[in-house]
Amino acid sequence: MRINFWYISSFIISLFVIIPILTVFSSFFESTSNYYQVLKDTFLMEYISNSLILLVSVLILTFLIGTGSAYLVSFFNFPFSNFFKWALILSFAVPPYIYAYSLTAFFENYGTAYTILKNLFGEGNYNQSIPKFDGLLGAVLSISFSLYAYVYILARASFLYQSQNIIDLGKNLGFTKFKALYSIILPAARPAIVAGLSLVAMETLAEFGAVDFFSINTLTTGIYNSWIAFDDLAFANRLSFFLLLFIFALFILENLSRKNAKYHFNTKAGFKQKEKIQLLGKKGFLAFSFCFLIFFLSFLFPLSQMMYWTIKFPENLFDLNALDLLINTLYLVTLSSLMLIIFGLISNYGNRVNKNKTLNILSTLSISGYAIPGVILAVAFITFVAWFDNNLVKNLGFVSIKKVFIGSILGLVLVYFVRFYSLAYNGIKSGYEKINISVDESSYLLGYSKRKTFMNIHIPFLRNSLLFVGILVSLEIIRELPITLILRPFNFETFATTAYISASEDLLEAAAVPSLFLILIATFFIIVTSKYILRDNNE
Amino acid sequence: MNKNFFEVKNVDFNINNKTKVRNVTFSIENQGDVICLLGPSGIGKTTILRTIAGLEKIKKGSIILNGKTLSSEEINLEPEDRNISLAFQDNSLFPHYIVEKNILLGSERNKEKKDKKISLDEIVELLDISKILNKYPHEISAGEAQRASLARSLIMQPDLLLLDEPLSNVDQSFKEEIQVRLKKILNKLKITTIIVTHDSYEAFYLGSKCGIILNQELKQFDDPYKVYHFPNSVEVVNFLNRGILIPAKVTGKNTLENLDLGTIEGNFIKEYPEGSDVKLLLQPEDLEHDDSSNLKLEVVDRKFRGTNFIYTLKTSSNTLIPVFVHSHHIHQHEVDEKFGIKRPIHIDHIVCF
Repeated sequence: MRINFWYISSFIISLFVIIPILTVFSSFFESTSNYYQVLKDTFLMEYISNSLILLVSVLILTFLIGTGSAYLVSFFNFPFSNFFKWALILSFAVPPYIYAYSLTAFFENYGTAYTILKNLFGEGNYNQSIPKFDGLLGAVLSISFSLYAYVYILARASFLYQSQNIIDLGKNLGFTKFKALYSIILPAARPAIVAGLSLVAMETLAEFGAVDFFSINTLTTGIYNSWIAFDDLAFANRLSFFLLLFIFALFILENLSRKNAKYHFNTKAGFKQKEKIQLLGKKGFLAFSFCFLIFFLSFLFPLSQMMYWTIKFPENLFDLNALDLLINTLYLVTLSSLMLIIFGLISNYGNRVNKNKTLNILSTLSISGYAIPGVILAVAFITFVAWFDNNLVKNLGFVSIKKVFIGSILGLVLVYFVRFYSLAYNGIKSGYEKINISVDESSYLLGYSKRKTFMNIHIPFLRNSLLFVGILVSLEIIRELPITLILRPFNFETFATTAYISASEDLLEAAAVPSLFLILIATFFIIVTSKYILRDNNE
Repeated sequence: MNKNFFEVKNVDFNINNKTKVRNVTFSIENQGDVICLLGPSGIGKTTILRTIAGLEKIKKGSIILNGKTLSSEEINLEPEDRNISLAFQDNSLFPHYIVEKNILLGSERNKEKKDKKISLDEIVELLDISKILNKYPHEISAGEAQRASLARSLIMQPDLLLLDEPLSNVDQSFKEEIQVRLKKILNKLKITTIIVTHDSYEAFYLGSKCGIILNQELKQFDDPYKVYHFPNSVEVVNFLNRGILIPAKVTGKNTLENLDLGTIEGNFIKEYPEGSDVKLLLQPEDLEHDDSSNLKLEVVDRKFRGTNFIYTLKTSSNTLIPVFVHSHHIHQHEVDEKFGIKRPIHIDHIVCF
């Protein structure tokens, strides 16, 4: 084993990212305040059952929406099918909590729905007849319409790689379209769909904003509340442990199914481009309606609701210091994505040049950060800094370092780093996998050192991957809520936190303006990257 | 001390902790010599090149270039410090640069040392790659990529050039022409080169020496003529597919006796005591056709090979013997017909085992 710069840096990066996970696990065995006992007897079961109900409902809904729309756009031609192909991923621009605000704003008493009815039919007592989407139902809808795109993207990619051959085979066997879907197309895409659903599941369990807005007690909000309201870090960590157990089960599931998925994508030989079936008349209209409904509900509806309020209450626009928020958001985004890209690159290269088992295992573990809810990461980070401060720094006679890491940009960016490291690492890795190892060797043989190979050969080649990763990370950070909420410096706000704070003070109209900004910026990022997200060929 | 330009001494070549070729010793005498390593696929030829280039380490023996030890149990010079170029068998062009840039990257090395013995234009012309210069590696064919990669290695003018199956993806029709050009340019530039191939004709043409690697060993290392005519083991005979081994008895200083063919005369490569039983290497060009001969064998197969026919003949003891006949030979013999062999049989170099 050769110890070199690349080895050491990859090692340190991976180790750093694992710290929060270790913290959560170790604190499970620490004592906690009495509150734990109280909660164990009363609320814990509620937390768990709410989390489970939420999870299962969201999974069913995202499966139906995501797979259904992916099936339609992959196998059929109908009016605007090419538009829906990418329009359906715009839902990513609307985080669940903003969706929740829109739902409430529209359906609440004297809300937008009421106004519409009033304008159409004159004054009336419509409030009773307007359905209310709040509580658990509201949370399920908000999360589903925001996250179904994970299933949509992965299912679509898998459908795309299905060869015309297997469809012809189905026809040859005399299958109807439904039978072909049910017994050929779906099973072949199963790994991809499961992978998409696992992502949805992790995000659902981690979801904080929407769930908190509808005042549902889940494990995630429980962690946040026990930290905010009771200042009980140890308990928060214990709840985290339960949540992590859930997530690890899902994580393993996802990993297992992904291995299969890879097997699917690599078979290029014998691939025959699918011929899309033309849907005409009523069928075409139905397919169009289904996709349009989803597009409308997931994107147009929240967007127009937020626009409507911004126009209706223009004073909020002037109250909001949008420029400051924009600068703050961009500041965080730039700093974090730069850090993620640089360290993701170094770590990837370190793994590439040192074929070392320890390092390999460490990197595999380190990318599990994405599976860990932001709330847990933030709390674990605080726990770790406090422990480190109390046990090491103070004992050695140094000044407390808490202020450097907690409630500071540095701390915030570090936790973003842990949370989104896997996104950066895997994104860069998939770019790296396209560079044949003999390219590195040729470079050495041309007299390039390892550093020069990295700088002159790899980085230029990975330019596009890096850009993509940067934008993906930015998109996540713009939408991110709980970590920012817990760790941001005093008076430091982003669009997300401003929207959250206004909404939690029951000032939904005021939440509209930052939400609208957030949606627009995120939409811009999605449109820029849609080419990569929806890659049509296997390049 | 000897003054070989390049030496491999008692080296075990390993990949992934598995020994592929054991205890290899060979040398290249003069700077500018070209040698070939020949052997079946998967035998470890590539491993040898990778090790010489410094991409794999050794635990036994030593590799010395121009008096400097590159690899040994203790020493391992990094690949970038060796000034050895390896042209990989698969496409190893930098995917984000066009072909021209890829080739020019090679010329950056040794800039100061070179007295510009070859220009980009020359090399492009030589390998006929002018049409692909502005293309990206994924836009060209495997054969083109191989030539581009070869160009990059050549323009680098390394101390030692290693070519791994350099023409395996080049079209057959174009291959011979490229071989001629390659030989010319290597001669002109005086680049010491090791070529790995499984094509014996390529090896015999390009190499001033050939090494045959079989069963984890370097079986024979000699000039092509000797390897071809005096294979030193049964394995080499079988690998080169040079002919068949028939049982014979040594009957004198210059004679052997075979049951089916009778007396065979010629010069023994190695001396055998009279009366000993040996296996005689019988090559297709050893026997001559003669319709008037009384030694007649049955034709069981006839292959047309362009310049010649290969007749497969069956002896009375059911041994199958290949015989070359020039294709301009006036008449042909059909299967099941009899075929006369000129007697007495004379073989210039008698190879026995």
